[in-house]
Amino acid sequence: MKKKRDWGYLGSLCISVLLAFVIGAVILAVAGFSPVKAYAAMASGAFSSARHIGDFLEYAMVLCLTGLACVLGSRVGIFNVGGEGQLLLGAVVGCQVGVWLNGQSPWLAIPAAALAAMAVGAFYALIPGWLKVKVKVNEVITTIMLNTIAASLCQYLAKGPWKNPNKNMVAATAQLDPRYWFKTLIPGSNLSTAIIAAAVVTFLTWYVMQKTSTGYEMKLTGQNPRFAFFSGIKTDRIVLACMCISGAMCGLVGMFRVYGAEHLYRSSVSNQYYFEGLTVAMIARYDPVTVIGLSFLFAILKIGAQGMELSAGVPNQIYLIIQTVVIFCMAAESGVFASLRAGAQRKKARADIRRKEEESHV
Amino acid sequence: MFEGVLRSVFSAGTFNQMLRSATPVALAALGGAMTEHAGIMNIGMDGMILMGAFFGVLGSYFFGSAAAGVALVLAMGVLVGLFFALFVVKFKSDEFIIGTALNTFALGLTSFLSRSIFGAAGTKGNPALPTVHIPGLDAVPFLGRVLNDNSLFVYVTWALVLIMWLFVYRTPYGFWLRASGEKPETLRTAGIAPERMKWLASVLCGLLCGLAGAHLSLGQLQGTFAEDMANSRGYIAFACVIFSRANPAAAYGAALMFGFFDAIGLRLQDYISSDLTNTIPYVITIVMMVYVVVRSQRKKRRAGKRLPARQT
Repeated sequence: MKKKRDWGYLGSLCISVLLAFVIGAVILAVAGFSPVKAYAAMASGAFSSARHIGDFLEYAMVLCLTGLACVLGSRVGIFNVGGEGQLLLGAVVGCQVGVWLNGQSPWLAIPAAALAAMAVGAFYALIPGWLKVKVKVNEVITTIMLNTIAASLCQYLAKGPWKNPNKNMVAATAQLDPRYWFKTLIPGSNLSTAIIAAAVVTFLTWYVMQKTSTGYEMKLTGQNPRFAFFSGIKTDRIVLACMCISGAMCGLVGMFRVYGAEHLYRSSVSNQYYFEGLTVAMIARYDPVTVIGLSFLFAILKIGAQGMELSAGVPNQIYLIIQTVVIFCMAAESGVFASLRAGAQRKKARADIRRKEEESHV
Repeated sequence: MFEGVLRSVFSAGTFNQMLRSATPVALAALGGAMTEHAGIMNIGMDGMILMGAFFGVLGSYFFGSAAAGVALVLAMGVLVGLFFALFVVKFKSDEFIIGTALNTFALGLTSFLSRSIFGAAGTKGNPALPTVHIPGLDAVPFLGRVLNDNSLFVYVTWALVLIMWLFVYRTPYGFWLRASGEKPETLRTAGIAPERMKWLASVLCGLLCGLAGAHLSLGQLQGTFAEDMANSRGYIAFACVIFSRANPAAAYGAALMFGFFDAIGLRLQDYISSDLTNTIPYVITIVMMVYVVVRSQRKKRRAGKRLPARQT
């Protein structure tokens, strides 16, 4: 039964991605670009050099971790839309801890920075989580407001108290000691040893969610909170814990971005990356394994789109359009199928009634 | 110095700014009130505003007049509303997913089109909506400076608040609209399809959010489009809808409150970093949300206490 449904999902996903590319081509053509050339530039943009492959792997890491952070929340029935703010705060605090510990051994500084980033992310996720659990405030609105607040706060810190000593850097913190940087795996790219840590985090998240009794309790809490509560699961505590871990993961992504790629905090640490991870999680229907797979696909698209912008002059935002059209296509497919099924059922029911009537006449 | 701060915060300029900041939020909140009455959780208002802002400027750019821009916005607003309803009402998709996807889609589409048409992330100096000068109002000392010489849509919004209030509470359509959210099956028994009212609500929301965007780009910013210029206003409007329990008049009041804190933030920029003052309206929105929920819970609890007394 379960396998059958998975195949259906895979089929609808493939059709949706194809359709999204077709719709993307139409939009490209309307805007006056050649779709064939644009897509060719996109493909070569993602794979043409080792550097691009490194960038795409790094971006897949970001998408995978943020997507899983979102899955973690939705599994227990809370939508963490505030990952962007948690990520930014994790990045700025993680970076500043590294600056403060300048001169210490990397074995002290890097774990301290990671812990600080996770703590800040977790705390920032705890606010909407607590408001949702204890006061029952809609978490979508609070988390989005907190995103905007965090972005302004980070901007303030990077311009004011934690500013880069170099006057030409307007909104950035001081640069990290090169000893603290994660080793770059492919020269020139953003890919660093952070991806190994990310793989460990990904595995742990998947393992806890799918293979442990805690994961089962989480699923139960999300599907039927009342039943879970009366079966003795401490639902409030599970929701809060998941929200905190989700925030901690986002904070960690921010720290990875700083220590792996940017080496200081500035707003390019994240450009709505969490929302792209969230979109991936939605397309994957909040299934952790699918999130991992899809984050590679969308990372290729994103890096390809950036290459396309450079070589063919097509704005890379076509990537956002394609990504969201996939969601619309999947929703439309399931909607059309559902209405077809409902129609077939109605027809069958009508036929049944007619047959019964005929039988009773006989 | 403190006295100077107070004088600058409570000047006519602040209240004028309040009116300007409140107007786009209020227009979107009017639209959100429609979908809220129809029982649709509309997270996608931010994207609808962004589309309105972009297509307003686009129409103004192509046809050389702000009126053409507004006409294009109205057409697009209907389309976006129909699109939203197609998924949420017809296909019964998850409102949260569709709303979020709509926001990201709007961000992608407007940025993409802006870069392909204007060749840059934004554009400015396109034909804008006129400001309205009411002769004689200047004679009134304080109010004259607050209320006079605003962009056209500030006054249109007042009319729309009244119209939407009358529509929701004084017409049969408004009655059916509210029933389609509260008691859809009862409405169906009465012979009216609740789905049809939901489609209507969604189209109205698309129209009003589009106008909010058009005011933002063509009115407030004089023909300017910038990437992601909705700047979470759609979510603030959503908070206003919840705060006002979808009453159009109260939603305007909530939007004014947001505008007031936004204006105070702008005034305080002379004294504190603008990055910190920018957060004020968002912090206030969270506080508002918490207050509303706590208030309604207290009311419920009180009602619960009264119930057994009535039974005896």
